[in-house]
Amino acid sequence: MIKLESVHIEEVRGIRKLDLDIRKEKFAISGPNGSGKSGVIDAIEFGLTGQMGRLTGRGTKGLSVSEHGPHVDTAKFPDAAFVELRIYLPELGKSATITRKVSSPKKPKIVPADSDVKAALAEIADHPEITLSRREILRFILVEPTKRSEEIQSLLKLDEIGQTRSALNTAQNRLQSAHAAATAQVQSHRNALQLHLQISTLGSEELLEAVNRRRKVLELPAILELATDTKLDAGLSTTAKPSEFNKESALRDVKSLAEAEKGFPDLAKTEAAGILADLARMETDPSLLAAFQQRSFIEKGLSLVDGPECPLCDTPWPSAEHLREHLKVKLSKSEEAGKLQESLLKNGTAIIEKVIRVTGLLTPVLKLAQGQGDKDFAELLGLWKADLDVLKTKLATVDKITGLKNRLEAGWLKVPEALPKSLRAFTETLNGKPDQSATLDAQTFLTTAQIRLGDYRQGMRNSKAADVARTAAKAAYDTYCAVLEDELNALYDEVQKDFSTFYRVINEDDESKFTAKFTPSEGSLGLDVNFYERGLFPPAAYHSEGHQDGMGVCLYLALMKRLFGNRFTFSLLDDVVMSVDAGHRYQFCKLLKTHFPDTQFIITTHDRLWAEQMKSAGLVTAKTSIAFHGWTIDSGPLVESNKEIWDEIVAALEKGKVEAAAAALRRHLEYVSRLLADQLGASPQYRADGNYELGEMLPSVLKRMKALWGKAADVAQSWGNDADKETAGKRKAFLSACNAAMSIEQWAVNKAVHYNSWANFGKNDFKPVVSAFKELLDCFRCNGCDSWIYVTPRISPESLRCACSGINFNLKPKSK
Amino acid sequence: MATLHQQIAEKFLAKLADTKCVDAEKIEKLRALLADSKKLKADEFVKVFSQSEGGDIK
Repeated sequence: MIKLESVHIEEVRGIRKLDLDIRKEKFAISGPNGSGKSGVIDAIEFGLTGQMGRLTGRGTKGLSVSEHGPHVDTAKFPDAAFVELRIYLPELGKSATITRKVSSPKKPKIVPADSDVKAALAEIADHPEITLSRREILRFILVEPTKRSEEIQSLLKLDEIGQTRSALNTAQNRLQSAHAAATAQVQSHRNALQLHLQISTLGSEELLEAVNRRRKVLELPAILELATDTKLDAGLSTTAKPSEFNKESALRDVKSLAEAEKGFPDLAKTEAAGILADLARMETDPSLLAAFQQRSFIEKGLSLVDGPECPLCDTPWPSAEHLREHLKVKLSKSEEAGKLQESLLKNGTAIIEKVIRVTGLLTPVLKLAQGQGDKDFAELLGLWKADLDVLKTKLATVDKITGLKNRLEAGWLKVPEALPKSLRAFTETLNGKPDQSATLDAQTFLTTAQIRLGDYRQGMRNSKAADVARTAAKAAYDTYCAVLEDELNALYDEVQKDFSTFYRVINEDDESKFTAKFTPSEGSLGLDVNFYERGLFPPAAYHSEGHQDGMGVCLYLALMKRLFGNRFTFSLLDDVVMSVDAGHRYQFCKLLKTHFPDTQFIITTHDRLWAEQMKSAGLVTAKTSIAFHGWTIDSGPLVESNKEIWDEIVAALEKGKVEAAAAALRRHLEYVSRLLADQLGASPQYRADGNYELGEMLPSVLKRMKALWGKAADVAQSWGNDADKETAGKRKAFLSACNAAMSIEQWAVNKAVHYNSWANFGKNDFKPVVSAFKELLDCFRCNGCDSWIYVTPRISPESLRCACSGINFNLKPKSK
Repeated sequence: MATLHQQIAEKFLAKLADTKCVDAEKIEKLRALLADSKKLKADEFVKVFSQSEGGDIK
């Protein structure tokens, strides 16, 4: 993970040019709506990840970083839009600079280009969830359990795990089908061998007895043991090896096929009907059909996504993540289609087994027909076998099963009409053959037996291998699921505990016994929360919007902690606690300070009060916060603490823009008055809404400053410090003089600054106003470091200081 | 810190080895597959599990 040291933004979103000194600290950005705060978040997020969350996700169709990332006036010059971030990598102890242009978001310039720095930044680029915005905050809370599960699994990068589980499941299903086919093939070879040997059970004893009987006829030595390399026809002359034709065996093969043929119409009838029923369901529910048709297509597309362009149709998307999300939603709609798919494959596999059985019967007869020169019959059987081989392939994939409707309705086996007649004719032909001599019968018997034993052995090996593969795949899938479940339960338990702890910190005044409960089940994650110890309820049942906001942030923090552990050092919180009330916001500051001391949060808010609370709670300081007072399309965010404010005002006046100058002055005075009231402990009349007017804030600040200088002089006198007494006295006198000067111009101030009635002002009328205020405000600054004067401690202050201690007056009198 | 994916992969392989349903050679091949950051395909698992010897008549 990282921490930000500084940010430089040019021509990105609503920002023309902006520099922020973040200092690896928690940092607050405040300002009214539309002042450019979120633009800063967008820019930082872009600098780190190449993405902008606000331009992706729901409701952002048609938006993209390349088109809408640059400032609107430089949209056609995306090269001008870039972000330069100075970052610190705690784990490496290194700093680096990353510069990313909108025109080439995937090719940031990284200095130094060390491999470890690049790897660390690549990790960040893969975690857009470092940004939490207002619109995303409730996605964990106010969603149905299935969606929550998706959201959280997506955040925790569990899709990779889901992909592995899915691949293991598909693998075990395929190997299961392969094993079923291999078993059917073994059975087919076994039947053929037994049929030939004329034995009822296939054991080595029975087999050798049948074989040795023929070997005896040929005066060949008996085979005493059946080993894996045993040749049943061993000893037969290799030079004058007889044909494979054995009349008796041939007649049995043909008879076997003829007898089986009677049962062909009913073969796998139930399975075929099952497939037809599933196909009918798809036809009556077009959406199911669409989901079904798209399923494998989308699955394929999802696996191929490696950038923002759709791999299926080349449609550009804002980001690869956006595209994946779109495809996942489509995929989730086809769950029912998935079950249908399973059913189709199950019945398809059952029919494949029957196809293998039939093929096992017809193949020996085909060879006989070929051997006997019966071309017509051989062609008929050859075509049929070829057709069944194709059918076998089609039944193995769902896509192709859908094209078999007509065939399944008409009789999937498609027995050639001429088969019965041809079988009869071929039987007659065989019967017409002269009986073979005992020697020839024995020779051909052994040759055929050896061939069929070889086929059977090979089938056995294939089947055994398929069984081992199937068993391994099933064990792997079952084990993976069990481990996954255990790990996810542990993860949810951990997140649940952290979530509850964090929420209790924020709400310790009224919900100190708050608990939450996750209920994970397949594909969903229920969440119930305790409501004042009255029981567990869904988050939206009784809790207020503010409490729900708090829950959203707490769950996000718990998840990030789980995701990154101690490496959670950076997060962007974009206006996420707006519904949380003032009291709980202090607690929120406490949460961030105590539970995430090493995490750099960049927090934006449109609420000035909240911005000040963050400071007074010690979460951020004046140096680690910035306030925007407005935004213009030409300038971008207007920074309240901008030291160049006077130059801006003068420049506006030079252009005759009194209106703009007065507005800038007013905003600056508002900002400084509030800042000084806070830093000096001024006492304006309290307002519950915190919406203090300049007219009441500034006088209270002046009064306070005068009082403080007076006190500093008195204290100096009590200690006999004449130098400080004189300086404090002069400061007080100068402040009074400036205040008097400002009062002289009050007629102008009131109209131009307070009441925005500047219509009749010329620039020369307004210049004295500006000078008067500048002089007045300089009374509150240190000439050395330019910082604003403050008291410390805030309650019962003991000294009056500036940042460099060039101003450092004692406020604690010598005890008498 | 290991990712959840890595944690699960390690525990999965250890537990799978205990089942004795998968030999050590395949476990190592699975380890290599799971260590790869790319998304895994069913074909890759089928290939690993399919490497085995057959049997004969007993």
